[in-house]
Amino acid sequence: MAAHGKKERMFERLTVSQRIQHVVLFVSTSLLIITGFMLMGERWAIDMFGSAGDSIFYWRGIIHRVAGVAVTVVCIYHIGYVFISKEGRSWILDMLPNLKDGSDAVQNVRYMLGFRKDRPAMDRFTYLEKLEYFSVWFGMFIVIVTGTMMWTEQYWPKFYLDVADAFHLGEATLAALAIIVGHIFSVHYNPHVYPMNKAFIDGKISESLMKEEHPLWLERELAKLEEENENAPEGKQEDA
Amino acid sequence: MGGRGLISFIAIALCICFLAPSAALATDDENCLMCHKYPGLGRYAKDKKNLKAVKRIFYVNEELFSGSYHGKLRCKSCHEGVEEIPHTDVKRVDCATNCHLKDPSTGRDFSHKAIVEDLNQSAHGSEGSGSEYKDDLPTCKDCHSNKNYQNVVKEQVGAMKFLKVCLECHESEEWAERFYEHMFYRASTRRSSKQVVALCSKCHADQEKMDRHEVDVVVGFKDTFHGKAILYGDEEVANCLNCHAPYEMGFSPHRIKSRKTEGSPVHPDKKLETCQQAGCHAGATAAFADKGKAHPSNIRVAAVDDQGETLSQAEQEFQAWVLDMIKLFYKVLIIAVVGGLGTHRLLDLYATRREHKIAHRASKMGGH
Repeated sequence: MAAHGKKERMFERLTVSQRIQHVVLFVSTSLLIITGFMLMGERWAIDMFGSAGDSIFYWRGIIHRVAGVAVTVVCIYHIGYVFISKEGRSWILDMLPNLKDGSDAVQNVRYMLGFRKDRPAMDRFTYLEKLEYFSVWFGMFIVIVTGTMMWTEQYWPKFYLDVADAFHLGEATLAALAIIVGHIFSVHYNPHVYPMNKAFIDGKISESLMKEEHPLWLERELAKLEEENENAPEGKQEDA
Repeated sequence: MGGRGLISFIAIALCICFLAPSAALATDDENCLMCHKYPGLGRYAKDKKNLKAVKRIFYVNEELFSGSYHGKLRCKSCHEGVEEIPHTDVKRVDCATNCHLKDPSTGRDFSHKAIVEDLNQSAHGSEGSGSEYKDDLPTCKDCHSNKNYQNVVKEQVGAMKFLKVCLECHESEEWAERFYEHMFYRASTRRSSKQVVALCSKCHADQEKMDRHEVDVVVGFKDTFHGKAILYGDEEVANCLNCHAPYEMGFSPHRIKSRKTEGSPVHPDKKLETCQQAGCHAGATAAFADKGKAHPSNIRVAAVDDQGETLSQAEQEFQAWVLDMIKLFYKVLIIAVVGGLGTHRLLDLYATRREHKIAHRASKMGGH
């Protein structure tokens, strides 16, 4: 359990690059959700804007497009990042789903229901985090493709645009709800981190939280530290 | 209204007329306002189809009337007959009558006759529509009320400067102001897009009425991008008339044509040009304008190939099916994902509660 009041050893959860990617992603996604769903408003809601509605509609369109470009850029950057950079490769390798995720899920549900004594020991990314991460890949692929189609509407048959629109709306609704129910819970309302997991700002995770949520990763990190310390010249050992 | 009712109504009306102080009104040389200035003047009458009673008001507000488009016309210019009291000889107002005003451009009597004939030949007219249900068809007054000029000249920026130029030659200030208002009003758009949509929807969103005329009822426009933009007050996007009767392409609402007739701006042959006009979808390709509907309708029976429709009924049904399937796919996915995540989170809370209880018990035991 967390050693309150005591200075804890911290590990790096998110690198600077990852944090910047995350900020761009969440700011633009929030703007996209707000400005996008403004098109779904019913008459009574839209009427509340009154005479400002026209300008609001104009800026709604601009903001949606700018945020759309930002999110596309960060997604393309991310693809390059996970294939080219060293930290990106380590990220995607740890993120790849494996058989253990399946057994983790089953064991975790059994634990939560009270049929098991302990939570399964999970690695750097839990099965839910992997699911969320690849949902973003899947979702972004759909909204970017359909969004680009609708932006270049004059080249497409109207029916294709209707299909694109249906996918864009469906995916956006799914994403918005999944973010609220899934992500907001795990990083804000989760009792372990309430009121907020600050890792997206400082990039750090405490040893105690790691032990609780990612024990296998902690083991790996500690082993890595030990190895480094052994290789390091005398007298320069990091004191834990 | 029965005979007795009519007689008593006349008696009351006459009493009111004669007991009231008579105010001589300069413009009212026919003295109609002697009776019609009383707000109570009206009666209940059966509607066209004899189904329900409608309130008919015969009160005329002099101030409002004289500020309206027709404010300079004599009553009898439009209300023909009306020689007797009670007015048993009154005819329905026909906008195609000659108004006894000289049209300054031709020197002849002015009349709306040409435009009434246009309407008659259009998809909305009794001839052009070829419909049996003539009572459903719109008349002039369904779209045009004798509106007030809303613009008070003196409050408009630049108006007075403009008027000074007029008054260099024309003597009557009142005449100049009316003329200015007329020109200004015709130069600006008569209705906002929101009002246009509301006006057309009065009939075209009425399923029963559209079924009678074998016309697709418009149900989906409010959910389209154009529809939403209009609700926000955007006047740049297309309303009904911008595609179905664009002035830019030489059409007019009075000469509106069915999409099935050649030469209609929404006929497959012209659709592309219509999308491209007025700086809207300037780069539109044939594919964009071709297969698909700008606004969905819920019946698909009216589309027939030999009438120039690009989409057969089977194609329309297929398209609707595809869209429904996508919606269904996402509904199922959303329920599964949100339901699954939600359940997982609730279980998590349940487990945490248990953990706390155990920790609490352990600390208690440890304390003793």
